[in-house]
Amino acid sequence: MYRLLFKSFFRTRIFMVSLALLLTVGVIGILIGKQYLVKQEKTIAAAQVFQEESIKKNIQYHSEDLGLLLYYLRFTLIKKPENISAISIGQSDVNPLLQAVTIRALEGQKYDTDFENPSLLISGNLDLGFVIIYLFPLILIAMTFNLYSEEKELGTWRILAAQTSGKAQFLFKKLLVRIVFVFAVLIFLMILASTILQIPMNANFWAIFLLSVLYILFWSALCFWMVTFLKNSSFNALALISIWVVLTILFPALVNNYVINTYQVPEALDAMVEQRDGYHEKWDMKKDITMNGFIGSYPQFIKYEVPEDEFSWIWYYGMQHMGDMAAKETSQEMTDKIMLRNKVSEQIALLVPTMHAQLSFNKLAGTDMVSHLSFLEALTNFHKNLREGFYTKIFDHKSADGVDWQNYKAKFYELDYGFSWLKLLLPYLLTSIIIGVLTSINLRRL
Amino acid sequence: MRKNVIVLLARQLWQDAFRSKVMLVASTLMLFLLLFSAYTGWENYHDQNFTRDEIQEEVQESWENNPDKHPHRMAHYGSFALRLKHVLSVFDLGMENFVGNAVFLEAHKQNTVNFSEASMSTGLLRFGEVSMAMLLKVIVPLLIFYLGFATIARERENGTLKLLIGQGITRKEIVFGKWLGLWSLSLLFLGAIFLVLLLFVLVESHDTMHSDSIFRYLVLLCAYLMFFGILSAITILISAFSASAKGALVKLLGIWLLFVVIVPKSLQAVGFYLYPTPSKIEMETAVEHDLAQIGDSHDPNDPHFKALKDSVLRVHNVEKVEDLPFNYGGFVMSKGEAMSTKVYLKHQENLYKVYNKQNNVERMSAFINPYTAIKNLSMAFSGTDFQSFLHFKDKAETYRFTLAQEMNQLQMDLIPNKGKAGPNTISSNYWKEFPPFEYHFLSIADVFKNEVISLLALMLWGVLSVFALLRLSTNLKAI
Repeated sequence: MYRLLFKSFFRTRIFMVSLALLLTVGVIGILIGKQYLVKQEKTIAAAQVFQEESIKKNIQYHSEDLGLLLYYLRFTLIKKPENISAISIGQSDVNPLLQAVTIRALEGQKYDTDFENPSLLISGNLDLGFVIIYLFPLILIAMTFNLYSEEKELGTWRILAAQTSGKAQFLFKKLLVRIVFVFAVLIFLMILASTILQIPMNANFWAIFLLSVLYILFWSALCFWMVTFLKNSSFNALALISIWVVLTILFPALVNNYVINTYQVPEALDAMVEQRDGYHEKWDMKKDITMNGFIGSYPQFIKYEVPEDEFSWIWYYGMQHMGDMAAKETSQEMTDKIMLRNKVSEQIALLVPTMHAQLSFNKLAGTDMVSHLSFLEALTNFHKNLREGFYTKIFDHKSADGVDWQNYKAKFYELDYGFSWLKLLLPYLLTSIIIGVLTSINLRRL
Repeated sequence: MRKNVIVLLARQLWQDAFRSKVMLVASTLMLFLLLFSAYTGWENYHDQNFTRDEIQEEVQESWENNPDKHPHRMAHYGSFALRLKHVLSVFDLGMENFVGNAVFLEAHKQNTVNFSEASMSTGLLRFGEVSMAMLLKVIVPLLIFYLGFATIARERENGTLKLLIGQGITRKEIVFGKWLGLWSLSLLFLGAIFLVLLLFVLVESHDTMHSDSIFRYLVLLCAYLMFFGILSAITILISAFSASAKGALVKLLGIWLLFVVIVPKSLQAVGFYLYPTPSKIEMETAVEHDLAQIGDSHDPNDPHFKALKDSVLRVHNVEKVEDLPFNYGGFVMSKGEAMSTKVYLKHQENLYKVYNKQNNVERMSAFINPYTAIKNLSMAFSGTDFQSFLHFKDKAETYRFTLAQEMNQLQMDLIPNKGKAGPNTISSNYWKEFPPFEYHFLSIADVFKNEVISLLALMLWGVLSVFALLRLSTNLKAI
């Protein structure tokens, strides 16, 4: 029975078209992931060289004045790249891979962007994640919309109905053949991705795989449910494509508009101005005002004298620090707002399989918003450690020789890739079961 | 062709459409989406511009309220440029949420334009956004296909096509009647959306660019009218050449998926794949390298700066820089600013050339994909395309450069050289004299220039559609 079904399926035009389309776009997706990894590597190498060279060059000119030297020097923190990110590039094209910062106020440097072509950002990356989320369902729809109606319209259904005892079983087997084919392509692409992109088969990789399987099962269930209404081909095609449009385009876009409008982030712009003014106004004030604030954060520096009529580095870096302090609260509010956006999006996504798949892929690949926020938090700590490491030496008027520059290479930040299986998979199990029940109700009437 | 017959056929298509459930569902859905997108679009436009306006004013106020000080301190104090949204961004969001919104303008340094909405969003943004233009570009084409796939194919299946021809109605009249019917049906959606949009354009009448906005609005209206005409023609053609209505529907759905979803994205990806761009750190390294080639202002023995010094001393016939009639520090900084800006802009221009190459792969596909043509036209005339963003960026950079150089000039003119008597600060009145940052949108003539290809492609599609319909009028098979 199955052999015959496979045979007849392989003979259809849609089979060849699907196979060709999935394989071509899938391979393109993997290659784009590869290119993304190569670009990352190049950027990291360039950043490492940049830091080393710039330290060397600036020491040449400013070795006597550590305060001035550190005005110029930039230190790099890099998100340690993981190859799994190539499967779902997510927000990692909008958010920079690394940040090179001076020990001056951080707020004005923290949100600097990398160069990206906005036309590309808007269309999004054609990564394997996209192929799975958008194309696989389309292929399933194309292969199943006339599962029943085709037989009916060709007049073969009556013969079949007379010959087979279980009509429902027959339809289900036909569906199974198609699902097996789709899974075969999925497995092939995943293996290809893991080989070409050299992705280790860790929990995150398997989670992405399992998620894809469940996602496809959800769509299969949906298609089959539609089929069991026993409508004609045109109706099924129209209905299924409409559902696809609603789930992959309209609904996420509606939610997106809602989230962006409801949780606007004017704090971003406010913090930017607050930091500048918080720092610059100190130039026109008594030095005590700066120093009181700075000593408040760092009481250990109280012993340093700050002459009122003369420039001193402790005062300068104190002012810089005050800039960050001025913006601290607003900056935190901004981060909270973004986290809120994320939380609301994730909660709504639990009900919408496409959105849940995208957000989960990004999370598993470490390319979601939260990963970037945690990088920014690490950057704040990195900056703090840098400053605190240099403060005493600058304030003691040490020269550049007093610092072991070997310790100041570009640093890597390792992301936490943890996730919860339950939250990841439960929504699909639930939706698939619900649709399954609905389908079996329809099948009983067959 | 008899006019009344064509109108009759068109009216019949309307009646059929309104009798079907598709039209009811589609209209309800569109009404909801229109209200939603108009509301959120307007709210976003209004709130964002309000915030940005407010901050821009605040920035100007604090600039003017600075006390007397050294002009170079003011050059570092700098300013901010905030990007304002065009009123038509309510219609088409375009790249609005993917480009930055604010840039810090200071001496010696070109900062990036930060805080794009995308940088503060989750991965959901990639699914797209709902805007009135998105409805017209993505959803309505699908509706046109839904409403029109059966027009000729089903009449043929039912045998009514033969009857029509038998009654003395020419094939041409059938084809053009159906086309007119479908097109005019789609104009219901177009009309509703553009009516709401007109309201927004008119409400923003305090805008000095009022006539410009109306002009942009009219171009958009014409472009979409044509786009729908083309889509209706494609629907009729596919329906006519398909053996069954079902076949026509499947083909049309395939076309929609290919042209709206798959091809644009793939071509953008291909462009990106073919023309790689440097990362910021790579470009910064290259800029520093080029600058070091010209001269290093930190190095007292650098030939470039030494030659500069010598020539200035010679011209003014003095021995030491301290004896020059202007502040030498200000002079060196102004030269340095000019030099570094020139080098930076050269590299930036090269980067944008690569972007253009990347984008051209997709842009050129307008000749095989009318969706691409309307997409680019719609963004450009809504002031939300990449060129509009670059225009803002250029203006901000020009302002930054003028600000830095003005402060250098003040330093040269008013601050004494080292060791000479005189004040080290200048009056705060000078800050008030410096004009604030004001942004004017790209002129409509420039927009036309940028979109020549898209306009050309759309017109070509229009001509092709009419031509194909005429061909069909002679070849239409009745059975």
